[in-house]
Amino acid sequence: MSLSERMLKIDRRIIFLVIGLCTLLPLLYPVGLPIRISPEVRSIYDYVEALPERSVFLLSIDFDPASKPELHPQAIALLRHAFRKNLRVVAMTLWVSGTGMADQLLTQVAHEMGKENGKDYVFLGWSPGGPAVIINMGQDLYTAFPSDYGGKATKGLSVLEGVQSLKDVAYAISLGAGNPGVEAWYVYGKDKYKFELGGGCTGVMAPGLYPLLRSGQLNGLIGGLRGAAEYESLIEQKGRAVAGMDAQSATHFAIIVLVAICNLFYFSLRQQQGRRHT
Amino acid sequence: MATGLTLFIFSFLYRDNPLFKLAEHLYVGVSVGYTIVKTVDSVVVSLIYKPIVDQGEFTLLIPVAIGLLMLTRYVPKAAWMSRYAFAFIVGLGSGLAIPRTISSFILKQIEDTVRPVLSMAGSDGLTFSMNLLNPSSNLNAIIILIGVSSVLFYFFFSIEHSGPGKAVARTGIIFLMIAFGAAFGYTVMARMSLLIGRLTDLIEFSDASYGRPTLWLVILTVGALFALSRRSAASASSSD
Repeated sequence: MSLSERMLKIDRRIIFLVIGLCTLLPLLYPVGLPIRISPEVRSIYDYVEALPERSVFLLSIDFDPASKPELHPQAIALLRHAFRKNLRVVAMTLWVSGTGMADQLLTQVAHEMGKENGKDYVFLGWSPGGPAVIINMGQDLYTAFPSDYGGKATKGLSVLEGVQSLKDVAYAISLGAGNPGVEAWYVYGKDKYKFELGGGCTGVMAPGLYPLLRSGQLNGLIGGLRGAAEYESLIEQKGRAVAGMDAQSATHFAIIVLVAICNLFYFSLRQQQGRRHT
Repeated sequence: MATGLTLFIFSFLYRDNPLFKLAEHLYVGVSVGYTIVKTVDSVVVSLIYKPIVDQGEFTLLIPVAIGLLMLTRYVPKAAWMSRYAFAFIVGLGSGLAIPRTISSFILKQIEDTVRPVLSMAGSDGLTFSMNLLNPSSNLNAIIILIGVSSVLFYFFFSIEHSGPGKAVARTGIIFLMIAFGAAFGYTVMARMSLLIGRLTDLIEFSDASYGRPTLWLVILTVGALFALSRRSAASASSSD
């Protein structure tokens, strides 16, 4: 058996080990590779930055713990930015399996930034209906969410003062890991009720959302852990996403090298087989 | 708990084993249980029971009745009644989705693809505005136009892809391959991000302030895998 044949039949667990080490070592010994800010992430940052104090910022946390590594850092960075700007944060979720996690992350960041529930922020929780909830909120927010996650009536909360429907929202961002998510917020929300919308998504979904970005249907897009790292850099509060970027670069490099080596061995084997036939 | 379950799931990379199965079944069970409890609490209690009993909103009984009709699927003789509920849901869903989806994903995207080449500005109405010497005309617009046209032609099977048509179809394939490559690249990035997330947690829980659960559970998992592989090897040799 030639070297090419042996290498192409290598135990896949060796590849798992290489990828594992390429991920683990940069996490233990970070290098601090530079992070370039993409225009799609910057436009979300700029929009939030330009909002006047006490504007209503709606964050729809449309993911569950399965997508936590990618979207949780995005949510934390956005919330830190919104609270720092003294925006009124209205958070909710369209994913029932994400309610507990969403409440925990909002409470954690609000506590860290010294914000008060009901006055500076509110977590509306989850309401059944998926995209229909967005339409319902566009007509009357209090019908869609008569009470917040803690059971307190939403009508009369100072954080929602002057807010009747989605039309009163200054900026909305959906952090989506699937459906309902960013697309649903555009289709049933922004397109119908005309408010500005940004999106955050998992890496898998990002290529599918770029057409919405170019056409102006979304004003910005935070894609995966990389996007979260860019946002953390912009707000100058580096967290888990920035910490993971060295590992991300190392694994990508390892995968590129593995793909190149595999192709090299594959073509070498084909050449050897061709020679044998002739 | 999180550390142990992560390690149990990772043990599948070595081989399928009972520890992985345990973690997998726990994940499915907990997810379903959590969803059921949350749904009952948020829907049945908060949106149905309380408004009807406490506030006397009896109109809510209409959607409740429509919803209950779904359950007649389990009674063969009354199963026909569920069709009314399904008809309501399909009708409502289609009515909401079709116009909005056409508007957002078809018309808006076509408009964006065509807009840089055609403009409605000026008194002449529709005019061809693409000009390579004009700084507002950008290369991306031309690339998108060529990409969309060639990919659409590739999926046009009514004529044979030969001669100039073959070149257009081949261009379409190149654009498709680039799109698949970009999608795959992002997928790899996403999967690596998930791995980074779990490893970050494992590193965090290896700290002495937590009692180093990662270290102990790694030893436990490796030990269990070793014992299991010894046992399966012994049972295989005894059956021989």
